[in-house]
Amino acid sequence: MTNWTLFIPELYSLGAAGVFFLFCLCRPDSRRDYGAAMILSALGLFLTVWSVGFQGSLFEGVYRVDLYSQVFKVLIYCGFFLAVCLCADLSGVDESRHSEFYFLLALCTLAMMLLVSCVHLLAIYIALELSSYSLYVLVYLRRGYQKGLESALKYFIMGAASSALMLFGFALVYGTGQSAYLVDLMRDLPGRINEPVVLIGFILALSGFFFKLAVFPFHFWAPDAYEGAPHQVSAYIATASKVAAIAVLIRIIALSGGQSDRLAWFLIVLSVASMTVGNLAAIAQKDLKRLLAFSSVAHAGYVMIGILSLTALGYASAVFYGMSLLVMKFTCFMVVVKASENGRNISTGDLAGLHYRAPVLALALLLALFGLAGIPPTMGFTAKLLIFTAAMKQGLLWLVIAAMFNVVISLYYYLQILKAAYFIEPEGQPPPIVVSTPLKLAAIAMILLMVAGGVYPGPVIDLAGDMTMGLFP
Amino acid sequence: MTIYAVFFYIIAALIIAATGLAITRKHMVHAVLCLVVSFFGTALLFYLLGAPLPAIFQVIIYAGAIMVLFLFIVMMIRIDPEKTHRFPLGHYLAAGGICGAYFVAAVLLTLLSGPRARQPMPAATASPFDFGYYLFDRHWLSIEMISLLLLVALIGTLHLGLGRVGRKQKKGGGQ
Repeated sequence: MTNWTLFIPELYSLGAAGVFFLFCLCRPDSRRDYGAAMILSALGLFLTVWSVGFQGSLFEGVYRVDLYSQVFKVLIYCGFFLAVCLCADLSGVDESRHSEFYFLLALCTLAMMLLVSCVHLLAIYIALELSSYSLYVLVYLRRGYQKGLESALKYFIMGAASSALMLFGFALVYGTGQSAYLVDLMRDLPGRINEPVVLIGFILALSGFFFKLAVFPFHFWAPDAYEGAPHQVSAYIATASKVAAIAVLIRIIALSGGQSDRLAWFLIVLSVASMTVGNLAAIAQKDLKRLLAFSSVAHAGYVMIGILSLTALGYASAVFYGMSLLVMKFTCFMVVVKASENGRNISTGDLAGLHYRAPVLALALLLALFGLAGIPPTMGFTAKLLIFTAAMKQGLLWLVIAAMFNVVISLYYYLQILKAAYFIEPEGQPPPIVVSTPLKLAAIAMILLMVAGGVYPGPVIDLAGDMTMGLFP
Repeated sequence: MTIYAVFFYIIAALIIAATGLAITRKHMVHAVLCLVVSFFGTALLFYLLGAPLPAIFQVIIYAGAIMVLFLFIVMMIRIDPEKTHRFPLGHYLAAGGICGAYFVAAVLLTLLSGPRARQPMPAATASPFDFGYYLFDRHWLSIEMISLLLLVALIGTLHLGLGRVGRKQKKGGGQ
């Protein structure tokens, strides 16, 4: 007998998507859509928080509800809610498409919630595809931007290619493990992970998640998609989508049992390449969203350091890193949305004079960039510290040194942005940026979170530890 | 050579010929029709190998539904056969080289791996009832997700199509 209570958050998101689907059929009204989205996403957030303690298994073992999945659902819904918060000025999307925009956003959120709970290869694959397809269409919804179609197409082709690779990998894993349930694979795989066919299948199976996380060499879509998408969608891709990717990547890599040096080596190569490529390319970027995209690639590399240590501590630190990315990247995109007029793309120079045009935003940006660069006392520093500690415990000193070099490189472009925001005088007299009270509250909440994560991260670290404990039966 | 083998080779030749025609025709509708023939051939092949269910699927889904969709799309977008631009020769060589290398590697592996590799695999059979029951009993969550996926794809295509029309209308209004 299926215990439907466990499935309430997902059913709720499906219902929310249904509401927007009905709105698609009515006369377009952006204020109604925005209001409904705010209410529905806030309610959904409460619902996911309420369901954190749920435990159980659904649908013949295809779907597992545990602390790990439930906390990630809260984070994903948080990403959805925050992205909706930015939608007060949705001028990047055509007026008549707003209902579709929210519908796809809600559906994508649902898909990711399903993704973090699925423990069957087939269901994982389909949930991943559902979330990707929603995002492809969302990227294309950008209005009046020449490169919108090109970037959506690039995103789509890269996604299709990587999901083909992933499907092939799944087939190999299924063929050797004789089961598509992660529980069965968990029993069988760790002993055989060093057989060539298992290892190759496993690595190919990871490629779809690498694509989601924008790990080298699956990162080519990131700069174009970030640049060509509406700002809110870029924010969503950078926050909720990344968190979901980290969740499922950890779940799959935990299958390997943590005994394989070859797998670890492969992940180390990818991690170092992502960090270096992301940071070096970010230096050259003028467009702020492209810069943030390359910084996402670099951060995917850092997250991989936590994951590749293949220990409980490493997984917990990667989870913590995902949480901190959610907060910091959202703050950056909040500034992008507010600083751009009519949904235009902005360059670093457009931030000039931000500190008196919008002091709260400037302070939030300062903390977020410090966090992304890993400067104490911010949440980002704690996250990097945890990840490096996990790698050191595995004796990967030189990997940590390589990462530290990358942190130094990244400081350059993060400080460049700060310099623009604080020290460069704008040409002419740009109008002050009007920040509405709710958004001001959101900015203050982000500031508090980032500082609290740096000064007193204990409870969150414990939570991350508890979550990942459940991955080892 | 049994009568089955004769049929097999005839159908296989038909499939190869039809697929070859499909990828060389300039006219899209002709290409689609050739592909339909090729799919029917594949269905026959499945039937010959003792798998009527995949044979029916092949006819209903591929030759029926998907090819009709292709025809719709071809009629909707109406590509000029003269204007299609060709890939440079280098691309053809690269693609052919990679595929050829794979083919040679696969043949060599089969030849070198001894008689065990040439044994036929045991056939897995399932009645349509069992298959359907298993699918909808165990995996109905996935099926529901696929239906949502189709909905998203539909919205995406609609949006792409409507976007084109909207832009054309705007252009028309500007002139």
